[in-house]
Amino acid sequence: MGTRPPTLREKRRYMLVSVDPSGTIIDRKDLYYAICDASTSLWGDVTAAVIMPAVIASEGQYVIIRCRRGTERELSIALSTITRCLDNPIALRIVAASGTIETLREKIKRPETPDLDSASSRECSFGEKLFRTEYCYGQKVDVIEKGFKNTNRLFLTKEDLEKF
Amino acid sequence: MKITDSCVYPYPAGDSSVRRMALEARFLGFDRLVASGISSGEFHGIEVSNGVLIWDTHIRDLIGRIRQERSDKTVVSVQAGDNGFNRAVIGIKGVHILRGIQSADKNAFDHVAARMAADNRVAVDIDLSPLISGRGITRQRAIHRYRDILILERRFEFPITLSSHARSILEMRAVREITGLCSLIGMDTPDVERAFTGIDTVTTPPNPAVRVI
Repeated sequence: MGTRPPTLREKRRYMLVSVDPSGTIIDRKDLYYAICDASTSLWGDVTAAVIMPAVIASEGQYVIIRCRRGTERELSIALSTITRCLDNPIALRIVAASGTIETLREKIKRPETPDLDSASSRECSFGEKLFRTEYCYGQKVDVIEKGFKNTNRLFLTKEDLEKF
Repeated sequence: MKITDSCVYPYPAGDSSVRRMALEARFLGFDRLVASGISSGEFHGIEVSNGVLIWDTHIRDLIGRIRQERSDKTVVSVQAGDNGFNRAVIGIKGVHILRGIQSADKNAFDHVAARMAADNRVAVDIDLSPLISGRGITRQRAIHRYRDILILERRFEFPITLSSHARSILEMRAVREITGLCSLIGMDTPDVERAFTGIDTVTTPPNPAVRVI
């Protein structure tokens, strides 16, 4: 099938989405399956087919998702029901929606570089346990407990670490 | 009127500290959180109130527990049970919110309980976690139950609160996202705005019917 002229093409909208927690490496295919699963589960096959979601690009912690024009509301609600991508807990925060990818690229903030000050405090303690700093930016500090067991991520602030 | 998430569980019940949850809540557009198991305070410009959830208890023990917990900034919630229990709970002074109505039995909250809730200014909580993380029949049941409660709410005008029941910052949702999720249960934007400020309705004392001048 040849390329249609612009007036006959389907109108699309693009959403810029930020993936939490920061530093999570997202595979586009896995995220696409998570989005399809969420939209099908919430809206059913018929509406999911109308939405036609697709992951267009991923840049750092940002992802650009495409949908058909007029279905932004349905897609944004479906995105808010995504809690996992494969086995990784994630949250998708919608930053902006636009008719062009270029506009969304302008809204992408530069990748957050970890604080150099925190590099010295790679190990920290919280609630009488030792943790390894996984991510640190501004007030936010993500830590993982040291050891083989209970290696869940904790979301803290610098003030928490100073206090304990 | 402050936009409030009326139930979150910070560390140690969850994996995020109360300060981090407050930081995230500010980013997501909230003004206040009700957090379980912490002392009230203000973190990163967000007012955090202590929330007490009482569940699986008899009415007699419940009254004693509420008396212990009564303070200006504590928000007392009780887990819903059967119809008789819910009516009794709504009648107790000091109870602010009736929670978990979506997991109680079908007749747990009827028109009599709704009228009592309106008279006693006890809010019914809409827990968004089944809508966010539930799939299939769990979510369908929750949507059905919430739609049923909203029919009663429109008739009797008792307060409604919205809560994410987040145990992590990853389970918290933005105000705009919650508005979208609430549209699934038939709430429009003014309804959602009223529900976000429902906690103010139940925690502020009512104007006296007779005022001595």
